Amino acid sequence: MGVIIALTLKEAMRRRAFLGTLIILVTLYGLSFLPRAFKEAFGGDERQFELGVNIAVLFGIDAIKFFSAVLAILLSAGAITAEIERGYLAAILPRPLYRWELYLGKWLGVMLFSAANATLWTAMLWASVALQGEPRVEMWRALPYVLLYPILYGTLALALSSFLGASIASMFTVALGAFAYFSDHFLRPIAAFFDVRLLQQMIWLSEWALPMATLKRLVQIQVDAILPPGFGERPRFGRPDVLEFLNPPVQPLDLAYVALYILAAAAVGLVIFWRRDVQ
Amino acid sequence: MWAIETRNLRKVYRPLFGGNPITAVDNLNLQVPAGTVFGFLGPNGAGKTTTIQILIGNVYPTAGEAFVLGHRAGALAAKRKLGFLPEKFQFHDFLTAEEFLRMHGRLAKMDRTTLQRRIDEVLELVGLAERRKSKIREFSKGMQQRVGLAQAILHDPDLVILDEPTSALDPLGRRRVREVVQYLKERGKTVFLNSHLLSEVERSCDQVAIINKGRVIVQGTLDELLVNRSVVRVELRRVEPCVLEAAAKVAQKVHPVDERRFTAEVASEDDIPELARAILDAGGALIGLQAHRETLEDLFIQTVEAEGK
Repeated sequence: MGVIIALTLKEAMRRRAFLGTLIILVTLYGLSFLPRAFKEAFGGDERQFELGVNIAVLFGIDAIKFFSAVLAILLSAGAITAEIERGYLAAILPRPLYRWELYLGKWLGVMLFSAANATLWTAMLWASVALQGEPRVEMWRALPYVLLYPILYGTLALALSSFLGASIASMFTVALGAFAYFSDHFLRPIAAFFDVRLLQQMIWLSEWALPMATLKRLVQIQVDAILPPGFGERPRFGRPDVLEFLNPPVQPLDLAYVALYILAAAAVGLVIFWRRDVQ
Repeated sequence: MWAIETRNLRKVYRPLFGGNPITAVDNLNLQVPAGTVFGFLGPNGAGKTTTIQILIGNVYPTAGEAFVLGHRAGALAAKRKLGFLPEKFQFHDFLTAEEFLRMHGRLAKMDRTTLQRRIDEVLELVGLAERRKSKIREFSKGMQQRVGLAQAILHDPDLVILDEPTSALDPLGRRRVREVVQYLKERGKTVFLNSHLLSEVERSCDQVAIINKGRVIVQGTLDELLVNRSVVRVELRRVEPCVLEAAAKVAQKVHPVDERRFTAEVASEDDIPELARAILDAGGALIGLQAHRETLEDLFIQTVEAEGK
């Protein structure tokens, strides 16, 4: 399996994925100029400097979530069917290894690469903020939850890649993500004020299709520890029940549900790959 | 012992969204003796590649059984003793020849010392020892085919399946493949060769099977299949019916070609002088007589055409 992991990592390097890594690193470094820019824009106000730091942290973590998920999708979506179509797997599968070893090797390779990137980016974000004299050590606590984004999206894309080509697998994964995002960010606020059954059902369905909102809430708790109260996406005004609907509290089994979803997606992909003809 | 054995092997592809099912392999019964070089022939779409894919475990059969070196096809125990060169072999071309072979050696679970020794041996054998540090993307198509051949024999397998190994090769490259096949044969290995280059198959193989529409039509040693099928091309001043009658008494089959020529199939080359005598005795003005031993290509075309009728 180590050979497959190494091969997946080499393939990622061949596809110039490290260029993406560097571009995001530079972007995150660029965030370090934000607090000073805020301070100068508002006549040297220290509160604006603090605001700039908070925005840099918030955007930085969002950027790491987003780009690590995108990277995982790009690497996973072409890992199985695309490699079969290219003819790479035709010579590897007759070797004495089980298909699950190959699948798991691919998964681990993508996840290692994505995790290394997310860790590197978090380090850069932390350093960028620390350079401004505002070390936010708590940021590292969010990292394990942030890593769930590439794991979730990468696992889903890999499962889809077991029977779909690279572009279609990517497209489906992104479409599911978009559906989950749209439901949580647009349908949920509408449903808070209009009692429409279809809206409720779509929100419920989107959670099952992709537990992105659950994951967002898990990361949000960590971000809350870094940022001052009231900062971020949480709405602050309104009836308590509406506020709770707009931003449901984390449930004890949320993490278990995300983990179960990831396991189920991986299992479905593996069963399909196990049973399919490779030609 | 059979290196490969299939029993009523069948593979039907069912389109996902309706449409007619396609039967690629249809009750295929094949026995490949261990230690032979075996030619697996058939026209395009006959089911050769599907059969090979079943044997290496990449495709699941719809029905029937396939055994490789005594193990069920696709089982890990079978794969350990199997080497395979696919027809459409795409390489991880960012690797050097040596890195590529090392990767395949590790996939084949070879230990470090044996692997290094075998890499040296097989690169020497396929004539790429001096290019071991070159990236595969820098190789010509023929060289890529040879490095593919090297990975197929790297772990010293008992059975080597070569799917169109000479398709991209020039005559020198083909000779190199013949030498490798000979090298394997001398070491008691079984080589299962799928090729459209019938002259190559005829030069290398002990046995052949011709398949069409997913079934074995003919199987046997080359001597069994070709020795009794000498064809004589006869040219006369004029082909008279009495000459054809006389020739038919000696030959198994007589085919008039035009008013000056006919062909006669004789049981063996020993019958040719008698055929000449019969033509002369019947008053035929003989101009030329050319014995033509039937080639594998002749057999292939006749067999496949007869099956198609």
